[in-house]
Amino acid sequence: MLKIDNLKVSLEEEDKQIIKGLSLSINPGEVHAIMGPNGSGKSTLSSVLAGKDGYVVNNGTVKFDGSDLLDAEVEERAALGIFLAFQYPIEIPGVGNMNFLRTALNSQRKTRGQEELNAADFLKLVRSIAKDLEISDEMMKRPVNVGASGGEKKRNEILQMCLLEPRFVILDETDSGLDVDAMKLVSRGVNNFLSSSRSFLVITHYQRLLNYIVPDFVHIMVDGRIVKTGDKKLALHVEETGYKDFLQLGKEKH
Amino acid sequence: MNHVNTSDWYDSLRRELESNSLSIEKVSRRSEYWRKSNLDIVSDFVQDTSQIDLSQLKGTCLFEPDLTVHGDIMKLGSEESKSVLSIMDVITDEESFAKNYFGRLEEKSQKLIPRPLARDNSLSPKVGYAISFSDSFKKPLVIHNRTKTSASNCFQRNLIVIKDDVEATIIETGNNLSVFNSVTEIYLGKNAKLNFLDLTGQNNIFPKISHKFCDLAENSTFNHFGLRLNTKATRTELELHLNGHGINTSIANVSLINKRDHFSDENVLINHNAYECKSRQVFKSVLENDCTSIVRGKIYVAPEAQKTDGYQSSRSLLLNDKSKFLCKPELEIYADDVICSHGSTSSSLDKESLFYLLSRGVRKDKAKEMLIAAFISEALDEIEDEDIKSALSHYIDNWTSSFFHE
Ligand SMILES: Nc1ncnc2c1ncn2[C@@H]1O[C@H](COP(=O)(O)OP(=O)(O)OP(=O)(O)O)[C@@H](O)[C@H]1O
Ligand SMILES: [Mg+2]
Repeated sequence: MLKIDNLKVSLEEEDKQIIKGLSLSINPGEVHAIMGPNGSGKSTLSSVLAGKDGYVVNNGTVKFDGSDLLDAEVEERAALGIFLAFQYPIEIPGVGNMNFLRTALNSQRKTRGQEELNAADFLKLVRSIAKDLEISDEMMKRPVNVGASGGEKKRNEILQMCLLEPRFVILDETDSGLDVDAMKLVSRGVNNFLSSSRSFLVITHYQRLLNYIVPDFVHIMVDGRIVKTGDKKLALHVEETGYKDFLQLGKEKH
Repeated sequence: MNHVNTSDWYDSLRRELESNSLSIEKVSRRSEYWRKSNLDIVSDFVQDTSQIDLSQLKGTCLFEPDLTVHGDIMKLGSEESKSVLSIMDVITDEESFAKNYFGRLEEKSQKLIPRPLARDNSLSPKVGYAISFSDSFKKPLVIHNRTKTSASNCFQRNLIVIKDDVEATIIETGNNLSVFNSVTEIYLGKNAKLNFLDLTGQNNIFPKISHKFCDLAENSTFNHFGLRLNTKATRTELELHLNGHGINTSIANVSLINKRDHFSDENVLINHNAYECKSRQVFKSVLENDCTSIVRGKIYVAPEAQKTDGYQSSRSLLLNDKSKFLCKPELEIYADDVICSHGSTSSSLDKESLFYLLSRGVRKDKAKEMLIAAFISEALDEIEDEDIKSALSHYIDNWTSSFFHE
């Protein structure tokens, strides 16, 4: 489904390479976790996959379903089924949450040649998802994320995911800021959403999340590269010993 | 000179105004008040064919006008009412109520700022309406200006008198007439309330200057909302005199301009002359393609106007770096117990917000529209009436959807 080959990315503003030759292949139905120290480039990778401005790809390719992802516009990637749950979801004052969700859903449907959802069906759908994630009506009526707590914002991201039904989901530290109950709620949402045709890239600092969302692969990212790949036991190892064993690996590859 | 037989009172007022009009400084680049403006506004005005089509707003039945003013012809709607007259009828009537009001505020305004165009208007009004309400109007009164093609300058002169405890809403739109120089004098009695919406439509390829001078008595409320859609050269002069305590005013304006060399120029002077009055000014301009928006908002607080609460915010969204937003907030305060604040910003579309919307699959033009709507919403929120607000924001949203495709 997603194939990243020797990707190198630097910042547009300054001559600084963040992703330094990263390769990763994700098949349909797989859950991959990425762990790594702060600043190792995890969010940068997510941003590049989602199509954010400000980065320059110096080398490598990213294929999604066989075609070049990096050529596609941000909104086209969304319509292809790529979804990034942001590490820091922003607030957008003045844009109503419901209006935003409906516009997003219908834009994607339109791009895919599907019929738009009418107001009543849309409302029904959103309400049922919100209920599962215990997001209040009041919250839904606000402008996007305005006044929401950190955890509420994260839940809102998962609501968007459930609504938009993407095929490839990146969760960038969705667990950070969630209380224990919310984490279970969100994990349940994600697990219900798993299917043989969907894939996940789960970025996290905590092994705990991976007890709920069980990964097929765990990658350790250090200094812009994946330095180690294993199964979920690797996450336990990190939890116990930290990244010290891997930092050296990052340097050796230079 | 007017070819109609004007009343004695108007003739003598006219003589008086004419004789002291020489002392009014002419409009020129040398005058600080006009320096940055588009002086087309004062040059020979030509025919204007612009309009905001209110039929688009008819989604709510509120917009069925009770009365329509077609240029110099007046048509009364379903309900016959003596309270709305043609200005020409008024100045020919010796006993008209207007006798005590006409020209007074124009003259007063000259004391603070020279306004030669307002004086020209007083000397030769051509069309307009004179409203005197002694009962509240529940429905908004929609005034749809429409003019015949004529090369002559159009000096529109209006008078609005709202008696004590009376509430009314007036929506003015339509053609800018041939040459548009309008003066509207507004008098609000105690506890009276006037919501005035001044909607200037797109494709105004001819200049327009409108003056509104307003005298407010204690506990009255005056809300003014202006909309400027791709206006070629509009200048607004709003001067309020808050003469009694407990007055509440809100002046809001939305300018959306994306045509080359187009211009909107909003000038507001709020005189706080009494204690415990509140004034708000909210200006939002969305600009693209070498156009200019000017906002000058001044709050004057007299020594006796303690506990004044004055707020002014002027913000622009510059969609490209060629457009200009010139803003001059001014405070002149002679009382010590007041809260006055002003803020002004210019910014481009927020990249992070745009990316967020796009990443959820919203198309680029739609995402921009949503952010523009969000940006101007603070000004629209100044409109109290929910039906008018939503009709207007729908209209604007539709309009903005064509904004990027021209
Ligand atoms: N737009 C930017 N401008 C400047 N520096 C940037 C930018 N984007 C990323 N960086 C830098 O690139 C490096 C990687 O950042 P990134 O956010 O990808 O790390 P991360 O692995 O997600 O870290 P964390 O675990 O703290 O979320 C950091 O040193 C960061 O400061
Ligand atoms: Mg990060």
